[in-house]
Formats: sequence, structure tokens, C-alpha cells
Amino acid sequence: MINRITTQLSTVKNDIEKFYDKKVWHFLTLNGVKLDESTTEIQWIFSKYNNDDITMFYTNVKQDEIIPSITDILPSAIMSQREIVDMFGIEVEDSEKGLYLDEDSEQMPLSSCGI
Amino acid sequence: MMAKKTINIPLGSQHISLLEPVKFKFECENEKIIAVDSDVGFVHRGIEKACTTKFKYDAVGYVVARICGLCAITHSLTYTTAVENLLEGELTLKVKYLRMLVAELDRIHSHMLCLSHTAENAGFEAMFMQIMGDREYVMDLQRLLTGNRVQFDYISIGGVNRDLSSEVAKQIKINLQIIKEKVHEYIDEFTNNWSLSLKYKDIGTLSLDEAYTYNAIGPLARASGIATDIRATSDYLPYDKIGFQIQTATKGDIHSRNMVRLNEILNSIAMCENIVDGLPDGEIQTKFKGKPKGESIVRLEAPRGELMYYLKGDGKAMLNRVRIKTPTFACIPAFSEVFTGSNYADAPAILASFDPCLSCTAK
Repeated sequence: MINRITTQLSTVKNDIEKFYDKKVWHFLTLNGVKLDESTTEIQWIFSKYNNDDITMFYTNVKQDEIIPSITDILPSAIMSQREIVDMFGIEVEDSEKGLYLDEDSEQMPLSSCGI
Repeated sequence: MMAKKTINIPLGSQHISLLEPVKFKFECENEKIIAVDSDVGFVHRGIEKACTTKFKYDAVGYVVARICGLCAITHSLTYTTAVENLLEGELTLKVKYLRMLVAELDRIHSHMLCLSHTAENAGFEAMFMQIMGDREYVMDLQRLLTGNRVQFDYISIGGVNRDLSSEVAKQIKINLQIIKEKVHEYIDEFTNNWSLSLKYKDIGTLSLDEAYTYNAIGPLARASGIATDIRATSDYLPYDKIGFQIQTATKGDIHSRNMVRLNEILNSIAMCENIVDGLPDGEIQTKFKGKPKGESIVRLEAPRGELMYYLKGDGKAMLNRVRIKTPTFACIPAFSEVFTGSNYADAPAILASFDPCLSCTAK
């Protein structure tokens, strides 16, 4: 069962900070799902350490918007933030391009409007 | 007093201690590592993209098995479970038992590989060769059960592709008994060998608080004291019926990680024996109807920790999204934390004790 919670780019960091207890939840991943040419649903997915509960914060992001970084709350999020930058070509605060692609690559393999 | 001197030393992208494409750049002050930078992106294969553009949903299980040669079973099992959630059908209990059997055999040989490399990187070549030789008993069982040593293609939507014959069941019990005796020898060696204790005990420590902070999972987390294991909580496979027991330690050092894996091998052996003894009757395949529609997240416990598949489908043969989160990828920040403050000379053994899988990471 996935508990889906809608959020906004302007509030997501605050929402996660209020929700996250590091001894109860752990961060699964940051995920992107392409909805149309210019919109991607971005999901911050958490699971509980001691049961099968999953909570997902999600919001729709336009290609030119900037996703806030949550690494000061969750240092381990840096890996999937950088993955989103490379794969979808969407900028994430404090997350440089070049995890998988070259730093100057113009490709964005999981974006349907990508090269 | 020796003057402080800062030098940068790379480990990888190809290094004798880990023949996989990962690079850690260590900034060292004399012998001590004071900062770490990692690079994991040498051989990304675009499998998530291929799963939504090149292969229909019923073939994707065989594609994702190619992500990793060591946990191929867990990849195909996690994907298949996620896609079954989006279809109509019900598995027989026998299928669930057979799936747990191959998953646990996979865990045994994967943990043995890690332990052998940890011994090798501490300078104990003979132990490396002994464990790798003994590992063949499990590889043989996988071949007998599934038809292949490495790429099994055993899991399919609605079931498994081969039944367990009485001859193979008998051989499983014989080989597992041999491995069990060997594992007790390893435990004695890893615990009491003086030179190994210098390389393992109080080396490469991840504290409980750091494990929580860096979202550690799998044996890395359990060795630091977090009692987390998907097998204990997941409803998808009846691990509570076959004697699963979570294995933890408290010190978070290399020795603790070794002990968690050794105890998990013993528990996996016990579970495999229970499966063979108590295998329910029933079909090994049932028909699942429909095309995947909706959203599904499934997590299962791979040998290195939590493996997650996110699927989204709209009732067509091609899925809209396949998202794979592999254990090593998630633990890279925790690895960097452990390296920081350690001696450079210990880095190869620490790295091996993480049991990193770059094949999974560069999916």
C-alpha cells in the first residue's frame, strides 16, 4: 500500500523535514515519471524500517523548474538527486550533472523531450 | 613528530582489490583518509529505458535478471512480484516456496563471494581460495535446480520454470550439509585468527547513528545494529513459515559485517532445508490475466540489502516506467562515511566488506 501525499516544490523540503524520523523511516529513492512532453512527476519515496509501509511525496515539475535538494535532511539523497539530473535533464539544487553522463552531455535519456 | 602531508590517492576505476568500475578518490593526511569522492558512472547501461521502450512487460523479468550475475534471481523476482501486483491471478504456495529456495541459494553464494574477497583483501589468499572452492557446492545446486549456474531465468510471471525433482532435493540436502560444516570453520577462523582480527576488528566502523543518518541497508545496517530485513516484514513471500531469523551485530566494523553474513548463510541453509522438507504440493505455474495497469512498488531483500522496483503501466504491453533502486547505489554515501577517518591501508578490506555491486549500480 502506497500512501501518496501531494506536495509543492516550494514546500517539499519543509514537508519532508516534518515527516522524516531517521529511526522510523528510510529514504528509498527519488523517482521521476514522465507525464507529458514538458511535465514530470517527481516522487520522494520512503519506507519504514520495521514494516512494509511506503509513503510517497509527489509533485509535478516542469522541465525548466529547479527541484530543491533535501541532502541537509538526508545526505544519502544525493545519489538519486544526481540520477534525476542526468536521466531527466531537470535541475536539482546542489546536484551536479555527470553521475552517469559526461558533465557537458546534452542527453536526458528518460525525458521524452530529450535527445 | 612526523609533519602532516596531504596527498590524493585513487582507488579504481580498476583496482586489484575490486575488479569493478568504481573510483574512490581519497584525500589522505599521512596514512589517514580525511575526505572521499566517489564516481560510479563508468558503464551505465540504460536498462530502465530499455524496459519501457524495447521489451514488453512479460519479457522485462528476463532483461532485469541481466543487471547482475550475483543477484539475478532477486532482480527477476522483485520485478515479477511488482508486475504480478498489477495483474489478476494468484500464486500457489509451492511457487512461493520454490522462489524462496532459489533466493536463499543466491544469498548463500553471494555472501560466500563477499567473504572470500574480504579475506583476500586482508591478505589471506588461502582463505579466499578455500571459500571460492566451497562456493561451487551452491553453484552446482543452482545449476541442478534452474539449469544454469549464473543466469537462471527461473522466475516467470505466475510461477517458476522448473519443478524440484526428488533427486535434486536430495542433492540440495547433501551439499547444504557440507557447506554448513564449512561455514562453522569459517566462523572459527574469522573470529579467532589473530592476523585477521588486526584487519577486521574495530576497522571500518559505521556506528548505529551513522547507519541511520546515511540510510544504510542490508548487512551493512544490520552489522551496525539496525534490525532491518525485508524478509521479516514483507507479505509477498512466507518467510515466517520457513524459519527466518534476522541477524544483527552491534559494533559496525568489518568483523561484524563478516559475522552477520556468516550467520545469514547458516540461517539461509536452515530455511532451504525446511523448504525441501516441507515443500507443498501444487502447480508451478498459474495463469495471470490482463495487462499491467496502475502503480506498484515492491521491495525484496537482495544479498546486499533492499532492492526496490517501481512500475507504472496503463494497461498496454509496454510499461510507462520501470524504476530500479539497487542496494549498493543507495549505500555509496555510507561507504564514504566509513572510509573517512580510516587508514588508507585498510581501504581494500573495508571496501570488500561492503560487498559492493557495481553491475547493479550501473544499471
